[in-house]
Amino acid sequence: MLMTLIRRELLDNLMTFRFAAAVFITLLLVVAATAVLIKDYERRLVDYNTSVETHQQNVRKRQTYSPAIVRVYVDRPPNPLSLFNVGLDNRLGNEINVSPWHVPSLWDAQMNSSDNSFLNIFSSIDIVFIFEVVLSLLALIFAYDALAGEYEGGTLRLVLTHPVQRGYILLAKYISAMLCLLMPLLMSLLLALILLTTSTSIYLTTDDFLRVGGIILASVAYLSVFYFIGLLISAVTRRTSTALMLSIFVWGFLVLVYPNVVLATTAPQDTSAERGASAFGQIKQIWEEFDRERKHFLATDPVPGEDPMFDIDSPDGWGAGDGFSENRLTLSYYYWSVLYYNGKLTEESLPRVPHAQNYYGFLWRQIIDTADQTWLIRRQTLEDIFVKPALIDRILLKLSPVGMYDAATQAWTGTDLKGLQDFFDAVRQYQRTVIAYLYDREAFKSRLWFASDETVVDWDTLPQFSFERSSIGTNTKRALPDLLLLLTINVVLFTIIFLIFIKSEV
Amino acid sequence: MIWHIAKREIYDNLNSLRFALATVLLFGLMLTNAVVHLREHPARMQKYHDASTELLNRLRSRTDLYDLAQLGPEKFHKKPSPLHFCADGGEVFLPDTIYILISRITNDLNTLWYLSYRYQMPNLKNIRPNTIKVDWGFVIGYVLSLIALLFTFDSISGEREQGTLRLTLANSVSRHTVLIGKFLGALVSISVPFTLAVLMNLLVISTSSDVQVGTDAWSRLGIIFFISLLYLCLFLALGLLVSSRVHQSGASLVILLLMWVSFVVFMPSTLASTASGFSSPMTSEEYWERYEQLYAELGDEYNARLQDTRGVPTKRIELRGEYVSKGTERGERLIHEHLAQQHAQIQLARSVTRISPAALIQHLFESFAGTGFEQHQQFVENVQVYAREFREFVTDMDRADPDSRHIIGVREGMSQKPINSEAIPTFEDTLSLSRDFNAAAVDLLLLILFLAVLLSGAYLAFVRVEV
Repeated sequence: MLMTLIRRELLDNLMTFRFAAAVFITLLLVVAATAVLIKDYERRLVDYNTSVETHQQNVRKRQTYSPAIVRVYVDRPPNPLSLFNVGLDNRLGNEINVSPWHVPSLWDAQMNSSDNSFLNIFSSIDIVFIFEVVLSLLALIFAYDALAGEYEGGTLRLVLTHPVQRGYILLAKYISAMLCLLMPLLMSLLLALILLTTSTSIYLTTDDFLRVGGIILASVAYLSVFYFIGLLISAVTRRTSTALMLSIFVWGFLVLVYPNVVLATTAPQDTSAERGASAFGQIKQIWEEFDRERKHFLATDPVPGEDPMFDIDSPDGWGAGDGFSENRLTLSYYYWSVLYYNGKLTEESLPRVPHAQNYYGFLWRQIIDTADQTWLIRRQTLEDIFVKPALIDRILLKLSPVGMYDAATQAWTGTDLKGLQDFFDAVRQYQRTVIAYLYDREAFKSRLWFASDETVVDWDTLPQFSFERSSIGTNTKRALPDLLLLLTINVVLFTIIFLIFIKSEV
Repeated sequence: MIWHIAKREIYDNLNSLRFALATVLLFGLMLTNAVVHLREHPARMQKYHDASTELLNRLRSRTDLYDLAQLGPEKFHKKPSPLHFCADGGEVFLPDTIYILISRITNDLNTLWYLSYRYQMPNLKNIRPNTIKVDWGFVIGYVLSLIALLFTFDSISGEREQGTLRLTLANSVSRHTVLIGKFLGALVSISVPFTLAVLMNLLVISTSSDVQVGTDAWSRLGIIFFISLLYLCLFLALGLLVSSRVHQSGASLVILLLMWVSFVVFMPSTLASTASGFSSPMTSEEYWERYEQLYAELGDEYNARLQDTRGVPTKRIELRGEYVSKGTERGERLIHEHLAQQHAQIQLARSVTRISPAALIQHLFESFAGTGFEQHQQFVENVQVYAREFREFVTDMDRADPDSRHIIGVREGMSQKPINSEAIPTFEDTLSLSRDFNAAAVDLLLLILFLAVLLSGAYLAFVRVEV
């Protein structure tokens, strides 16, 4: 019985003009967008590769430690799944310095791109966005007359004269409509994947295909929510014209108006500036304390004067100095001591070498400890100022199914905030590794810090940075809340529609 | 007769659900827009004023002509537009400050200041979700166009389905009268709530004491309102065209919605991304390579010729003067080339997006509201004009001193007299309506052309329709 009903509905839907038009438009848009996105991704990948190369060379061509460790940079590879949902992937910085004097965070990253930066004024469109807009509209278009049309046409009465349960009718309508919606979804995704595989620079792993499967799952749940919304409107209004009008307005509100209005009205908090200033003051105090200790060390040092250069030859042409660098916005206040020694030692400076070694050994241990101390404050403050409001925004967005869908797909692709934070956690981990490596080699208090007259630093043993995107398990865990939320809404809506439909008079 | 039909349409519409929903939506959006503007604009103006006052004070504190010639005015701030609420214009992605650059030729020789157009991406540290700004451009470009389609999709196909069209045409009414009547009816019934929403928006904004809207701004608002009506007409005509060609109103709506989605939502960005691939401007790496090469060559040349002067001070000063001006001029030329190529790429991409009416109206709003890329170019031009003025001032001051040797850029070669700081020209970012008109002329004409095509299309379709 159910099969007969489904077949009837399916044929009804498939033969319609709206189905053909929707499939055509979806395919067209997805193909056009994918072509653009692939090009964009390839360019970002080329930028990434050149940047990695340059950064490695910048370190490797140094013969002593001091000029090299300030030039250790890490690059963020573009995420191939950003084609599906770009999220924060191409907005946040993609290169970051991991020198020991500063614990790197998301807000210290810089953007390295060969692109014309004015191009950012054009918004970018990803595949999920197309589904979000076009397929949800299509779901409503399928749903608006599903019940109201049958009420009006009197066909419902006809059907119900047969021994058919009402629940079956609903189910048949639902299943056939979802099958019809799945068709453009799967076809366009398939086309997109075919286009992806023709590009030589994009390599998708098995896990990536599973993640795409997750995106499909989220899409189905999302579309089904919209279909149910349309069905509910259709059941309540009982008139096709009213149902249609209401559906389109509801769609416009949920997809277009609500997300933008809610983000426009949530104000950036006024207190954040004060909070930032007070944290900055604390950080500054910690560094001033450090500076006092440094001066104290120099004062008690057997070498007279406060000159930390120890007359060890001249720094190389890059310039030298020590002091503080500050940036209130990112809560960065740190001591930089960069005396880039080119490695030549003169006869006169030889007696001072042990003092210099002693000083740098002390200085860098102190710098690293202080940087760690300030990071505790910075992490908390950055969390309060930037992350918390952003999370609240995301929660507010989730009052619309669009927000849930977006969040779920971003979680699958790993372009959400958490995915990006994973990268910066890895960067911090790498910084610890580099520092451990330097301690291990006793780099700070070694002669190689400034002199290359005896040996040259062997950079081959320097640990390399590598970043693995979070495992598919983690992705699933992150996507699950939103996915479950979508499913719950589905169940709730279905129950409501079922109750209304059961009790309705034909 | 036209009015008779229009009146019937209006009465029909006024009682409908879509009218109520459209009114609520428009009022809600316009109110949000006004509230957000009132909250954000004073801070923006304050920031601009603080920054430019501080800058002016620093400039006024200079008394030495050489310092003035070498360091210049430090930076320039873009003035926020009072009509920011009409079009945001992707302000976050455009620099609001132009800095200056002083390049090093050799260790003891620097160029004079020149404009540097480099900037830090402001959105780099923003982890909030992506969003479209709720400005008039959004309300009109997206929402009003959708409403226009919802009002017209069934105006002919619906009547034909019910058979009332046959009834109407059985009277001695010409077809174009019916069409015009329907068009006017829909136009009036949408523009009434729209106009009221706009007036409420302006009322909220203008009654607040924190935000000033000048007389110039009011005439700009008038133009923007007029453009909005044109845009509304465009979508009404599209709705009528499709409605008379398609027999079922359901199918008509589907076609219209899909067209709307492709033209309004997707085309602007997809076309822009595609078109920006056609040209490849100088990348920043290329720029820096050429930059370093330029100054390395100049430095070598200078050092070589410095040997020839054999320490004669006058010759040395002349040589320094020559290289300072050479370095400044070439550096400026290079950076201009870079900027011009970047701007050309954007300009091309923007021209291609003109196929989409939503992009057209976005450009028009930006032009008349004084925001966005168009205005950014104007800002750059203003700064360039000022830079020339500033240099002329320095030259004139130097020339006025008979003791000077008139070698700009070398301390010993310039006038040593203290300058009157009040006389230093100051920079003020301005907008000119006539210039905006010129920039917007193409967009405006295209909009009118689209409208004419769609109206005549709707007319032809309706005349030939079988009832």
